[in-house]
Amino acid sequence: MLISTVQPVFKLELNHKVTPNIVTIAKYDGTHPCLTASAGYDKIIIHHPHSGVISGRAQRSEAHGEVSELNLSQAVIALAAGPLKPDCNRDMLLIGSPSQILAYDVHDNADLFFKEAADGVNVIVAGTFGKHAETLAIVGGNSSVLGLTWQGNEVFWNVVSGKVCSMLCFDFDKDGENELLLGCEDSYIRVLKNNQFVLELAETGAVLSLAQVSDVRFAYGLGNGTIGIYEEGIRLWRVKSKQNALSLQWSGDSLACCWSNGRVDWRDGGSGRVLRRVQMRAAAAAMLLADYRSVGAPDLVCVSDKGEVLGYPPYQEATGFNASAKTKLPSEEDRLAITELFNRKQALLVELQHYEANAAGAQGLSSLEREATAMPTNTRLHVGVTTLLPEGVLDLSVSTNNDTIVRAALVLAEGVFSSGETMACHPASGRLRSHLQVALRPPRDVPIDVHIKALVGYADSEQFHIFELTKQLPRFCMYTLVAPSTSRPQLDSYVTFHITERVQRICIWINQNFLLEEEVQVDTEETKELHVGFNCLRDKGKLYMDFESDGQVKISTPDIRLAGDLIQSLAIYLNLIDLQVRLVYRYNQRQDYA
Amino acid sequence: MNYDLSRIDYTICGITYPDTLKILPSPSTTGLQKFAIGDKAGVLQCLSIKDEEPVVQFKSLPGKPITSVQLASTSGSPSDKIFAASGNEVKGYTKKGKVFLTIETTLSETITSMFIYGGDLILGSGRVVTHYRDLKEFHSYNCDDRVLDVAAFGSPNSTRLRLLVLVANKGAVVLENGQVAARMSVPCGPSRLAVPPWLHNSDVCAYYGAADGSIGLIAYVESVLTCKSLVDKGSLGAVVCVGWFTMNSAMHLVVGRHDGSIQLYLIDMENLYELPRLKYTYFCGEPITSVAGGCVGTEEGELVAATFSGRIFALRSSRLITGANSLSNISQDALASRRSKLEIEVARLEKQAASERDKYQKSTRSSLAGLSAPPLLDLQCELSGAKNDGWQEARVTSAVPLDMLFLYCQRKLDLLTDSAAVLSICPSQGSSEDLLATVRCQAGTRRLWIRMRQAQGSNSQPLIGQSTKLLVYALPAGAPRVARLISLQLPAFPYYSLHDDPDTADDSGRSWCVLRVTGSFSVAEMTSWLTEALPGGLPRPSTSMAFARSHTLLKTILICRYQRGLATFKSDNISTIYELKDILSNCSVVKGIRVDITCDVPEDCCKRCFESIEETYKIEFKKYQDMKLLEAMSALDLDANAVNEEIPVLCEDYLKVLRATADDVESNFEELVGIIVNWFRDYYKIKLHGADNSYEIDQLKKYLNECNLEAAKKILSNKPMTPVEAENFY
Repeated sequence: MLISTVQPVFKLELNHKVTPNIVTIAKYDGTHPCLTASAGYDKIIIHHPHSGVISGRAQRSEAHGEVSELNLSQAVIALAAGPLKPDCNRDMLLIGSPSQILAYDVHDNADLFFKEAADGVNVIVAGTFGKHAETLAIVGGNSSVLGLTWQGNEVFWNVVSGKVCSMLCFDFDKDGENELLLGCEDSYIRVLKNNQFVLELAETGAVLSLAQVSDVRFAYGLGNGTIGIYEEGIRLWRVKSKQNALSLQWSGDSLACCWSNGRVDWRDGGSGRVLRRVQMRAAAAAMLLADYRSVGAPDLVCVSDKGEVLGYPPYQEATGFNASAKTKLPSEEDRLAITELFNRKQALLVELQHYEANAAGAQGLSSLEREATAMPTNTRLHVGVTTLLPEGVLDLSVSTNNDTIVRAALVLAEGVFSSGETMACHPASGRLRSHLQVALRPPRDVPIDVHIKALVGYADSEQFHIFELTKQLPRFCMYTLVAPSTSRPQLDSYVTFHITERVQRICIWINQNFLLEEEVQVDTEETKELHVGFNCLRDKGKLYMDFESDGQVKISTPDIRLAGDLIQSLAIYLNLIDLQVRLVYRYNQRQDYA
Repeated sequence: MNYDLSRIDYTICGITYPDTLKILPSPSTTGLQKFAIGDKAGVLQCLSIKDEEPVVQFKSLPGKPITSVQLASTSGSPSDKIFAASGNEVKGYTKKGKVFLTIETTLSETITSMFIYGGDLILGSGRVVTHYRDLKEFHSYNCDDRVLDVAAFGSPNSTRLRLLVLVANKGAVVLENGQVAARMSVPCGPSRLAVPPWLHNSDVCAYYGAADGSIGLIAYVESVLTCKSLVDKGSLGAVVCVGWFTMNSAMHLVVGRHDGSIQLYLIDMENLYELPRLKYTYFCGEPITSVAGGCVGTEEGELVAATFSGRIFALRSSRLITGANSLSNISQDALASRRSKLEIEVARLEKQAASERDKYQKSTRSSLAGLSAPPLLDLQCELSGAKNDGWQEARVTSAVPLDMLFLYCQRKLDLLTDSAAVLSICPSQGSSEDLLATVRCQAGTRRLWIRMRQAQGSNSQPLIGQSTKLLVYALPAGAPRVARLISLQLPAFPYYSLHDDPDTADDSGRSWCVLRVTGSFSVAEMTSWLTEALPGGLPRPSTSMAFARSHTLLKTILICRYQRGLATFKSDNISTIYELKDILSNCSVVKGIRVDITCDVPEDCCKRCFESIEETYKIEFKKYQDMKLLEAMSALDLDANAVNEEIPVLCEDYLKVLRATADDVESNFEELVGIIVNWFRDYYKIKLHGADNSYEIDQLKKYLNECNLEAAKKILSNKPMTPVEAENFY
């Protein structure tokens, strides 16, 4: 990897501390970009290198001549800017406080609107959404999202099942209208279209940043250090780092990623491979795209929490940063290719050597030597997953088919383990068997890919064979079937809806989405109804699903979230676009909604 | 001057040991030079470069691993005779590849260093330096520890040779006529010598590269051996090899390091003590084993380097590479054909590998149980002693890229790793106090460090008298899918990693606690018991052993002297003696050997030891106070105005604290308090058979936390305090 000596094209000091993530760049006069940031609790600083002093409420800063300060009486939580006013290309500043939103025209020193936000403010974006032609101020709260016009009128509102951490206006389904992508704290990326959620993408951590890459791609960053790119709802790649990604921007033809420790790297959009990286002198506060030099193309503007601002031009892979300067000679390209070819040659030679030595070595070894590294070639690894109701866990059992032992098992999965991405099992040397059990407790109902690496050999081996396999756990694997004969308590919390589908297909859905020891089957072709009951492994809660012959479905469970997940899953399986659901919950009033 | 160097890959060979690549002198003044490289497979090859393409001059058959390659030198300037050492054998090759000399020595250990000077051959193997003159053994000398490198120097008006020898854990020795002429202990652990080629060969003077990354100069002038550190240890890794490179008609010292960096230092040829100036650094990602400079590819000099996994590449001035000028003597076509040739070869290998893979897969499916026994992965792992912050570092080097490491330890440890790798701590198994962790590496990772120390703040008392075993499973990224297990012994006293001279330490007038062990143990047994306690390699057993180690944080000393049946340990740190007693009695019980252990502890040991760290204690106390202050100030959320120069809001002292960088305020204060309290507790355990002193301990803690040094000393001196006296301290 290249540790780059990339020099910034511009560099300046704000002489103010900058609060991470509360930074925006806006053209208050319509032409000149001004960096605007929160400089501690209630103070906003505006850097205006091009235009003169901003008058009005803002005061000239004592610490920097080109910086104005704006003091509010409330804490600043979020900043955004956009040309809200129709027929006016000047950007308006949107300031989010814990309980209110202020839209302020910096240039004219006038308030556009002032609005109470009962649900709190976490993030604000200015953008177009759906059929609304004008630029809207879109506010993400603790459990809702809200769209406002320039006069402060509410044009849409919706409930979100989780704190909104990031938002992006993006034409997700390529119909010419922007949808709203919401990154939520409960690890989902949700797509809002026409004020309805059309898709949920399950991720493995709070979704802290979203950025548009191209017409069909967008990038995301999570609270656990993962970043990645989605193309048309399918994840192209993801990589994980120890740091958190503060901001992602598509610059030139690579994805720039700014990490909270002040590292900035440029990555290949197709694979996530790092192309260049730099390290700022302090922790990062923001990274934005803006034409801050007025050269006609946006630069990457990186801001550190100490107030240092660095600008990098778009990075082109073929030419590096300096498009005009020396172009790469073909001979250099050949040399790089030769280095890469040697890498591959070396790897292949090592592999071949191993096969060779394996073939030669297997005969000539004494049994003692053999044990250090060997294993019968026909060793197989069996992996099974069963539910254990008393312990409330999924039991992943790994076993070999001969006298070899499983020395250790590593289970890699995201969002399943409380501490990191792996779970390991390493029995004490006296308890080594050819069989090993690992207990899994997926905390939420999403499909999980579990990657297992098992080290197989003998107890005294110095080297073990690695067996790798991936197992997909169905979405509702933490529910186990109740024997149909057991008596059934009456649950007074349930949802009902009506579908027109054969129960045979419902059976397939159940078998696909639950982890069952025996598949659910209908007795005869003529059977028209299905009644199944489940126990939840987590809290031993009950779940009953009744599919009546008239198409009436009743899902009884005290867990409202589970009911919602089941309906979503079933609706996607049956390709339903619209479903009328009646919801009855004991402590709630009766509600009907679509 | 332009230090813009670019990499050109020449070829690959097997795994290489340090210092196994040498550039041959050029036959005439203008011709290009050849180079020789020996690898683990025992193949010595001599190559020349034409159009960046290696041309094999000769290649030997595989055999025992080649551990050292040297050129014969006649009165200082190298000749074109190549000497390669493998096992206990040395072979001499002419530049045409003819073997003109084979010596099978009687040495019991592998030859690891070699120096040829006229008709003299000097070999270092194990602890022995052997001097052959005209193929006959001339002298032989047994050093105290492993021989790391040797260099020979002539004497004016005499055929006598003077040998400069680097000895592990000991420093440097000058040998004359098989006798020690001078010796010196060098704490940084020099491991490689580079003799300046322009000096007259009777000046005993050489640069060294050390295990801690520093560079210095050793000289023996008028029977005095001196040593001066010129480049301090930085953040860079241990020096593996050193060499010389002339560029822009200036002499450079080239340093190849374990962390994969190659550095060029500009040397003042007139004044060797002038600090070398760092001019260039290149990172290649895996340990560098050899570096050498010469005119190999073009008539202008270039740097040739070999890596652990066997990559051989050159660093050449970019001017020669990119320039369309006449200096670049390779045509575009030649380069393109080189590339396509390599592409074809890789494609062929890919096919071959695929078919072998298939064969292997088939064998796993056949009902006939064969054996799958791939050879052990080529892996090296070194464990260092603790730095003064308590972290021990394990460095893993692999010949193949690693995918992940899996760590297991029966005890909780704090862990750190490379910034490029993701460390993930797994939940413990059941309720046990064990540590399970995985380290996932970036693509292409061949070297990795893991730092560990005993978990801070965990209430589990260190398992006294027991070292800890850390199991590391290394999982490679590619085929074959096997994981190698490395087991690391974490010593009970990781801090005692600095070497000291036992005799000078003895005379330093400390207040010694003495532990005497008698019984029917052998020297080898005692050495193996001590490996449980001390980090780093111990000297190999001989009839009587003496060595000293000092504590990196407290600077206390442990002196070990033992022979068959009797061992004496001295330390000014009472806790060390107390714990060592437990370790030794544990070990002897395991072995079933009866030993008698006696302890002699002076009354003032706690106080004296405390006085020796008083200064450190005060500094740490100040740092600790500052840290608390900083915490409080950062909680206040002061903005830019508060630290404004013109309108001071904070007082001078507070501002200073606020501006202090984060690494300044790492404090070991709490640890120090714990250590001192333990001294006091251990004193009572040894001296007064565990009499109850909880009241005094509480008092001591209180005084220490208040930095009331006089009162603390009073308690530590074990003289009971009257209530009036106690009152007076307030």
